[in-house]
Amino acid sequence: MFFRILGKDLKRKRVMNVLLLLFVILSATFASASINNMVSVYGGIDYFFDKAGMPDFITLTMNSDGVNPTEDIVRNSVSVTSYQREDLFFYNAKNLKKDGKVYVDFENPGIVTSVSGARLTYFNGDNEEITEISPGHVYLGGLLNDPEKVHPGDVITLELSGRSREFIVDGYVKDALFGSPFLGNPRMLMNDGDYDYFLSDETIRSASCGCAYYINTDDGKALKKELTAVKNALFGESISTIKITYLLDMLTAVLMMVVGICLILISFAMLSFTIKFTLNEDFREIGVMKAVGLRNSSIRGLYLIKYLCIACVGAVIGYACSIPFAKLLLESVSRRILLGNDNYELIGLISAAAVVAVIVAFCYSCTKGIKKLSPVDAVRNGETGERFKKKSVLKLSKSRLPENLFLALNDVLSKPRQYVSMVVTFTMCILLVTMLANTSNTLMSEKLIFLFGTTESDAYYNSTEKIMETMGSDDPDILDHIIEDIEKELKDNGMPGKVHVELMYTLPVEFGNEKMNVIMQQCKDTQASEYKYITGSAPMYANEIAFTPQIIDELGARIGDRVLIEINGEKREFIITATMSSFNQVGKIGRLHEAVDVNVNDASSAMAFQIDFDDDPDAEEIDARIGRMKDIFDTDKIYNAADFVNMSTGSAQTMSDAKDLVLLIALIIAALVTVLMERSFISKETPEIALMKAIGFKTRSICAQHTLRFVVLTVICTCIASVLTVPLTRLISDRVFAIMGAQSGFEYEIRPLEIFAIYPLAVAGVVIVSALLTSLYIKSVRADAMGNIE
Amino acid sequence: MNKVIDVKDLCKTYVVNKKQNNVLRNVNFSVEEGEMVAIMGPSGSGKSTLLYTVSGMDKMTAGNVTFCGKELESLSDNEMADVRLEDMGFIFQQMYMMKNLTILDNIILPAVKSKRNKGNRSAVEKKGRALMKKLGIGETADNDINEVSGGQLQRACICRSMINDPKVIFADEPTGALNRTSSDEVMEEMVKLNNEGTTVMLVTHDAKVAAKCGRVLYIVDGNIRGEYKLGRFERSETLRDRERQLNNWLMEMGW
Repeated sequence: MFFRILGKDLKRKRVMNVLLLLFVILSATFASASINNMVSVYGGIDYFFDKAGMPDFITLTMNSDGVNPTEDIVRNSVSVTSYQREDLFFYNAKNLKKDGKVYVDFENPGIVTSVSGARLTYFNGDNEEITEISPGHVYLGGLLNDPEKVHPGDVITLELSGRSREFIVDGYVKDALFGSPFLGNPRMLMNDGDYDYFLSDETIRSASCGCAYYINTDDGKALKKELTAVKNALFGESISTIKITYLLDMLTAVLMMVVGICLILISFAMLSFTIKFTLNEDFREIGVMKAVGLRNSSIRGLYLIKYLCIACVGAVIGYACSIPFAKLLLESVSRRILLGNDNYELIGLISAAAVVAVIVAFCYSCTKGIKKLSPVDAVRNGETGERFKKKSVLKLSKSRLPENLFLALNDVLSKPRQYVSMVVTFTMCILLVTMLANTSNTLMSEKLIFLFGTTESDAYYNSTEKIMETMGSDDPDILDHIIEDIEKELKDNGMPGKVHVELMYTLPVEFGNEKMNVIMQQCKDTQASEYKYITGSAPMYANEIAFTPQIIDELGARIGDRVLIEINGEKREFIITATMSSFNQVGKIGRLHEAVDVNVNDASSAMAFQIDFDDDPDAEEIDARIGRMKDIFDTDKIYNAADFVNMSTGSAQTMSDAKDLVLLIALIIAALVTVLMERSFISKETPEIALMKAIGFKTRSICAQHTLRFVVLTVICTCIASVLTVPLTRLISDRVFAIMGAQSGFEYEIRPLEIFAIYPLAVAGVVIVSALLTSLYIKSVRADAMGNIE
Repeated sequence: MNKVIDVKDLCKTYVVNKKQNNVLRNVNFSVEEGEMVAIMGPSGSGKSTLLYTVSGMDKMTAGNVTFCGKELESLSDNEMADVRLEDMGFIFQQMYMMKNLTILDNIILPAVKSKRNKGNRSAVEKKGRALMKKLGIGETADNDINEVSGGQLQRACICRSMINDPKVIFADEPTGALNRTSSDEVMEEMVKLNNEGTTVMLVTHDAKVAAKCGRVLYIVDGNIRGEYKLGRFERSETLRDRERQLNNWLMEMGW
């Protein structure tokens, strides 16, 4: 009997049950896939580091006269428990060619390691350890682990200092140190013979060789202090910082998780609405069941079994869908990371089962309403007798609104509780998209330019070659010559302007007992006061300095304290006058006053050459000139301010792609919710629709009235979302930016047209079209169907 | 007198579980302008189906219904809606109203919708209030529908059916859900309405209600078995006599 009633109910409310099933499927799919993704990525990084043999600390330094300055320190340090040295040499994008053209354009110096000299364990695409490479073959990793640009089987040529050799790309290498796109130094792993061929060249040995030290320590702080003696370290970070560089992978996983949670919440909102709606609809049946002696628990059981059935079926289908979906989500991550999660199925099953359990528990609490219904409800038309609650809000006789708009507005205002779940859903949809759009727009906006420690210029010319030329030379004036050359070239081409560049120096900083290497930025051609600071005042004299809060915290210092910095072999005292925000070095950086005399040849790296044209051209002219400069300097790496930020953050595109995916999901959810709700309204309001038809309303007029309700709702949702989007973006993205290094002092790029018009309109459009199409079902309601409460 | 309704060979068949149920079989009758016609018959005889089919609320299976010179079958849904809005009024056994509107707003809703009253909402409101006052429910204008009695609500339904000055009012057991006092009040209003020139066609089980009509059609198994002409009801003292005549006739018909 129980199951016969259930069967009838499933059949009778087919459309609503199918829509409910769809929501459960979506929830289960997202819950399973995103939890799987989270577990895989989060646990995967630890697993990968463990299998790759990542140590506690890694430092990367250029050799000086064939000797690496780190060797003595690590060999004699008491805080080092063990270490391994990996020999390597550097190359840049122009050294790697295919068919005579640059193979892949990249900014960071590339690293070449021999397979037997490798001290980390490297894995190929099949997760097998790479122990052997044939002569003339290479594996590529880091930024070169990109199937859009690099294809196994490609024949490439490495040309360095007159030495040249052709290689066949065997595949991608999973590199724990440079696997994240945030670091992304292109790694090339080759045969020992090939490696030695390049190393046999004296110029390469003296100017391009370096070492990576993989150090295990029992006192990280002491080790850091000791390593401050190493000048010009290219890289020196603990394993925890390197893990942070995988933040983007984590962000995508978290984002999917958030979308999954939102979907589950929306499913609950829908469930809550549907259950309450069904109970309202079934008042007569429930009353009769009570009248004939059925207990509350039996009646609740009837409903619970129905939802349990829907939840189980939905969870099974959702789980099945989650397997390919999870694989899709993990595809880009698993290409770079050795994932150790072999329990996809189990995690997916547990997540899907959790969705069922939560839905059934939720349904149980929602069916509490059954207790309140009494047998008398069966004869009192669903009212308990405790009535006299005012329902009408607006008055048609006093209103000047068109009748359809009046009826729609009055309906929304008269039964606000009925629309809460929809307002929450649509607002959430708009907010999810606009928050991501705000973040991705900010990440590609020139407003963040100061977070890279640069002033705003007309154009940014990135040249690893020229910077490496400076670093590898003994000529103290080489940078001035390079700048003069660029300026001359610009002038000769009718674009006179000033050029300057931000150099970075790794300098040991002491405060009390604390000692650490800090990357310092300095530009001789700008003034320290031209940069943005969070607190304090800009360094005004050569003995003043600014740090990021991360450095100040690590040193235990405050503004006004004096620190000792070793420059050109001499310890000098500096007063901390300000704090600043920066994305550089994950926020661990300082700024020297322009008057501080540092040898440019000691620079460890540099930002782009910044170009400020003399004639102050407009944005259009700047873009045109950038195009011309690309031809003049034969490079693509010349950007305007916004593109420079976009290129430097590297995450804007990921965020933008995620936003597009979330927008698609949001639109699907909005459409599904609208169809479910409108279908429910038609079912619930059949007598009223019939009455309206009976008194002469045309079907299109009733459809318009129903659709207008959704218009009213989307207007309300847009208003709420418009108020909340900026504070919520700040609340969430401030934390993301803080992890990336910038703790405060930046503004978000809010594009009003996009945030307050395009995305809300997209959601509203989908909602309104869905509502209109669903409302066409009203045509099937006959004018004499007033008594048909079903 | 003009025929406002002319029904020829009207058939209505429902198909339930692949079985045909012929509810109306070749029904023929007509209603003159200003008439008040009652349809009576045993339960399941097809009274309400006849009313709904004749008023165009339900589709006929075969036959022809002419309403004020228009063949209902040939009208599109939109044209039918216009006819219902401008020329027909409906009163139902259950007092169906829009839950979120006040009594007055429910009454004036068809008038607001009507093209005749476009842009003249204050006149519509005035007319609605006047109708309510006339039917003795003026004080309930701003009440919600759950704040008034069944009798008041049914009178509000009558007001709504009258708001656009329809040519014909169709009523499906208008007093079925009311007690005797309320029933008498409602019928009194219907008779007044008829006396003012509105054609009324109603379905009822109650001989006392039917006795107030000028003509009674008796339907059995989807066929009109007979009709009884009582003539216009003008004086309440004649009601008892009309009721007796009607009951005698109904007994003859097998009531």
